[in-house]
Amino acid sequence: MTWRDWTARLHLPTLLVTVLIVIGWGLLSWRYGAYVLPSPLAVLAGLRDILRTGEIWTHTAASLARIAVGFGGAVLVAVLLGLAAFLSRLARGAVHDVLAVLNSTSVFVWIVISIIWFGLSNWAPIFTTFMITLPVVGSNIVEGVAGVDRRLLEMGDVYRLSGRRKFTAIVVPSTLPYLVAGMKIGFGLALKVSVVAEIFGVTSGIGYVMNYSREILATQMVFAWAVVMILVMTLTDKLVFDTVSRRLTRWR
Amino acid sequence: MKLEVSGVGKDYLIPVIDSVSFAAEAGEFVCLLGPNGCGKTTLLRIVGGIEPATRGRVVLDGLPVIAEQRQPRKVGIVFQEDRLLPWMTLRDNVGLVLTPLGVGAAERAATADRYLKLAGLAGFEAYYPGRVSGGMRQRAAIARALAIEPDLLLMDEPFGALDAQNRRIMQTEVRRIWRETGRTIIFVTHSIEEAVAIGTTLVMLSARPSRVRELIRNDGRVERAKLVDDLNTMIMEEVERQQGAGPPGA
Repeated sequence: MTWRDWTARLHLPTLLVTVLIVIGWGLLSWRYGAYVLPSPLAVLAGLRDILRTGEIWTHTAASLARIAVGFGGAVLVAVLLGLAAFLSRLARGAVHDVLAVLNSTSVFVWIVISIIWFGLSNWAPIFTTFMITLPVVGSNIVEGVAGVDRRLLEMGDVYRLSGRRKFTAIVVPSTLPYLVAGMKIGFGLALKVSVVAEIFGVTSGIGYVMNYSREILATQMVFAWAVVMILVMTLTDKLVFDTVSRRLTRWR
Repeated sequence: MKLEVSGVGKDYLIPVIDSVSFAAEAGEFVCLLGPNGCGKTTLLRIVGGIEPATRGRVVLDGLPVIAEQRQPRKVGIVFQEDRLLPWMTLRDNVGLVLTPLGVGAAERAATADRYLKLAGLAGFEAYYPGRVSGGMRQRAAIARALAIEPDLLLMDEPFGALDAQNRRIMQTEVRRIWRETGRTIIFVTHSIEEAVAIGTTLVMLSARPSRVRELIRNDGRVERAKLVDDLNTMIMEEVERQQGAGPPGA
């Protein structure tokens, strides 16, 4: 490999920028004090602490469990909506419009409503996550279903393929990439949204612990947990979604 | 397989096909010719049972073709585009159309390989369509149409997207496959040379709304060069007539 390949592979420019930012961060923190901006070293120490106590796993797991239910439910309902949109043109219009309305509803609306409906419980962040990710995943699937090549379906008719065969051989493979793309965006959104919803009324999860750290003036922990969030997001993106979409598009 | 097309017509916003009648005996190679937009593809789709006719009827061996219903006869179609599923290998693409015939998986693969070989694609069975050339994709589509051992094979300008050389190769191939399998073929083309080179019966359609202008047996009694000349004159007249009629809907 040449020098240029290595530079690209190791993301050297990114590393350089990171180093500059960390240096700037250190200087600013020295100027303004640890409450406003804790030093990089304090944040690292915070990360080491939550690793040693195991807190990092319990809170991350609590957040991920809520996401699994809320986001998982959204994917399930989105698939059903996509199916309805495929089977009936009338349903497609209705589904499309409902998703558009949901899409333009603010996160805060759902947080407030979920607290009214579910009180200070696990179901509040779960419901919020569900309502926010449903339109993202749903509109992707509906777009995928609408984009199924009619000419391929006509080919299926000519060769007298059964309805089920047309579904599994034509509709599913052409919709799957849309579903995976929707899930990728949806999961990122789920993580961001559920963490916000966790500020209210639950006693576990990354959002809860960040807000708690703020209250006890442990700003370095707020930063440490933010780093945890970024790591979770990047890892699922690289390990789960990139792998799945590469497998799905092997034929390209 | 005997095909009878009697008084078939089709109206969209304007009448496209006025009334077309012709018959093809088993094993005939019929070429449909005519100016652009005279309804050649539409006629083929009506014969294939994809679209209903506005008037008239199509009868295959005594059984009427009813659009959008499962046909009792096996009809293979090669569209203008290959219409292969990009996420399936060539073998699976061909094998897929054998599933409604109740063929087991192993036999499907074997049959698919046999017809891919016939279409000159031996060695490419496990390739995805995106990994082979356009000509090879079109040949795979032809292999797919043949694999069901169709009673009737419909081809809609199947070589339209090919360059001249591949086109000649494919014409020879189709002609050979036709001789080896003895299928009845209806072949739409806008190339007179192509029709004269491969067809046994040439049906020349008139300008829109179309009728049969001329039905010619291409049995070698008329010299090919003269036939090509005559057909060229006819098609020029029809093209002029269609343009003289003004834009559609006018």
